Amino acid sequence: MDNVKKSIISLEALSNYIVLFAFAAIVVIFSVTTDNFLSLENLYNVVANKVVLLAIVSLGMTIVIAAGGIDLSVGVSVDISGLTFFSLLAAGYSAVLGVGAGLVAALLVGLFNAFLINKLKIDAFLATLGVLFIGSSVQRLATNGGTPITLTTEEYSPIFRAISDSQLFGLPSPVWILVGCSIAVYLLLHKMVFGRFVAVLGAKPGVALYSGVRVPRELSKVFVYCALLCGIAGILLSSQVKSYIPLSGDAFLLDAIGATFIGTALTKDRRPTVIGTLMGVFLLAIMRNGLLLIGWNFFWQQVGIGVLVFVVLALSFGLRRREE
Amino acid sequence: MSDVAIDMRGISKQFGPVKALDNVDLQVRKGSIHGLVGANGAGKSTIIKVLAGIYKHDSGNVCVGDKTLDVIAPASIEKDGVHFIHQDRLLVPTATVAEAVFLNNEPRRGFLLDIKRMRKEASDLIKKHFNLDIDANALIRDLSAAQQKIVQITRALACNARVLVLDEPTAALVAAEVSSLFRVLRALRDENIAIIFISHYMQEIMEICDDVTILRNGRNAGNVVASDSSIEEIVSLMVNRDTSEMYPRREARIDEPVLELKDASRTGHFEGVNLTLHKGEVLGLTGLLGSGDKQLLKCIFGLDQPDSGTIALNGGAVKFKAPGEAVDAGIAMIPEDRRAHGVAVDLSVSDNISIASTARHAIRGFVNKIFEAKLVDGLIEELGVKTPDRFLPVKNLSGGNQQKVVVAKWLSCDSSVYLLDDPTVAVDVGAKVEIYNLMNRLAGEGKAILFVSSDLEETVEMCDRILVIYRGKIVGEYKRGEINSDRLLAVASGGAPSGLREVS
Repeated sequence: MDNVKKSIISLEALSNYIVLFAFAAIVVIFSVTTDNFLSLENLYNVVANKVVLLAIVSLGMTIVIAAGGIDLSVGVSVDISGLTFFSLLAAGYSAVLGVGAGLVAALLVGLFNAFLINKLKIDAFLATLGVLFIGSSVQRLATNGGTPITLTTEEYSPIFRAISDSQLFGLPSPVWILVGCSIAVYLLLHKMVFGRFVAVLGAKPGVALYSGVRVPRELSKVFVYCALLCGIAGILLSSQVKSYIPLSGDAFLLDAIGATFIGTALTKDRRPTVIGTLMGVFLLAIMRNGLLLIGWNFFWQQVGIGVLVFVVLALSFGLRRREE
Repeated sequence: MSDVAIDMRGISKQFGPVKALDNVDLQVRKGSIHGLVGANGAGKSTIIKVLAGIYKHDSGNVCVGDKTLDVIAPASIEKDGVHFIHQDRLLVPTATVAEAVFLNNEPRRGFLLDIKRMRKEASDLIKKHFNLDIDANALIRDLSAAQQKIVQITRALACNARVLVLDEPTAALVAAEVSSLFRVLRALRDENIAIIFISHYMQEIMEICDDVTILRNGRNAGNVVASDSSIEEIVSLMVNRDTSEMYPRREARIDEPVLELKDASRTGHFEGVNLTLHKGEVLGLTGLLGSGDKQLLKCIFGLDQPDSGTIALNGGAVKFKAPGEAVDAGIAMIPEDRRAHGVAVDLSVSDNISIASTARHAIRGFVNKIFEAKLVDGLIEELGVKTPDRFLPVKNLSGGNQQKVVVAKWLSCDSSVYLLDDPTVAVDVGAKVEIYNLMNRLAGEGKAILFVSSDLEETVEMCDRILVIYRGKIVGEYKRGEINSDRLLAVASGGAPSGLREVS
């Protein structure tokens, strides 16, 4: 009897830390099999270029998934923000105005989602899927079928350069923006009343309604916050690549969903959290980077990521089910 | 061949520190209907889940017929002839009757389904066992609750069930459906099928069961032959409490009016309703299913809006567009469907209690955790919620304690009007008494209670005043003691016997 019990406890502990184990295992494997995986230069590259943007989008996705929804239009918010930003820069407006307008554009995407869900009573999945389709068309129409918007080097203003090229205390400014966003979402979800409402909406929307929670208002906030975070990511993305490339935000969608769900494997009650999502993002990023360094080509990388998702989620949920 | 269909002996099951079953025996004879009763948490569902193979028992023996089962798997127990009809109807709403009856047991021709045979046999089986004509092509969602139960039972019979386990089979049924279900069960008993019947309704247990096993706190509390026993005896074995304490009394101190409805109507649900609810009063609102009573509560709570008429709270007219506005005005709702609307079972006791009031105590949008801890701990103690601490997920509490969490939620925001929508449905006797005590206590503190219940006896016993609603209209008003449950039923059913005071 006692033996059985002990093994169950260790299984439970294992299932809660599976993401950490996977993390450690991947770091060890890639450190041994490649020369420069653990080098500062490479880690800097991973964090600055791969992690930040996906992490910011995933934080937005975390809010939505925690509230029991899904946002398939994150890529649209990213792109619309970048499109607005770069269109204004190209037309000669200041970077500050461009950033403001880009964020407002993303906010409008969030409000449109909220309108579809609250007023037209469309399911979040279908509403945001529709916005995803419309967003693709809007971008193609606005760019003559998908021509990138670029600036000449002379057109770069100091503020524009500062967005992605400056450093603070030895770290690139996007990393600090991510830190800021993470803290903000952490406070929202885990310290504020809004987070309580999100948790109840995610667990049982009916209880939220019958407890007097203004469900439409809170859902609107959920989708607007997500869109705003995506808008920030969109401005960072176009600043990094020094151009607006239509539909480039779509690449974040599945990774953001994946990172959020991998993150839920970290918590005991399988709920999305800020820490979990950040872990999920890092896991995906170092996996990609490591596979690249050991020489897998892009097509095989996706296989590696797929297997990673299976392993983490299967182990985590499988162990848990056994325990029950 | 023995005549025992199910023989469970010395079953024990422990969850962490909690002994859910302690050396429990359950023997069920072939061709008998065996009642299984006990308060919530007594171990009824645990022992059934052991039999179903959902839980693995720590010790003890399970025999089905002459066969000892060492390992029970949910997938194989049906092959041993034991079928479970669960409380929530586990049928696919968009399947047809024929598909539901032969689910997982489909007749085939080669590798194709033999749909024609499926339809014919489904109709034949229903006709044979129940003498009923149900269209085999009808969709499950179009059937009544009783018909759905019958489809489930038919499915078990199609698989040659020797033992049927029915968990609260009558919970969603109206009286006429219950009696037709009982006819079916008696017919099955005569075919030598053993039936385990789990119910909170003691009258039903007495009416239908041959033997009754009573569980209390995970142990056997007694076995009785129903015809030699009484409800009082069984209930006292269940709760160790005299039934005369079932409906606790209180001195009513009825104060000024709080909630007034004038000529309120909502098309298709109720019309011309006048109602006044006073401080310290328990006002019963009773009617048959679909009489408009529940819709009326929804309108008061802002889930719906009346088409015409006025609702006044403390003298001022109100129009709630959403429940949030009603809550802010001090209205509390204890919903009928606790698991869908009352508590989020995956969240903690604390999160559930504080959800309605957390915004009021927040500091610039941040949860005031110190205040909240004090508030929640205070309410847990005040209401006697049985939980080790406020962080336990609500799903680990019994039904009665979950209901206390709902009440605590409203006490935390100091609500003054309580709308109770069948708060005692599907809870055990012990929990019912606790809910009655809570009602009395709220009324004693000057809260106003509007109590909708489908249980006429509790309505008669608990309410200071009773309004009867029939087809959306108030057809009678009675003070405490002016009416008994039989006459109340007559009025609620639309018959208005003479000699009663009627409201014009």
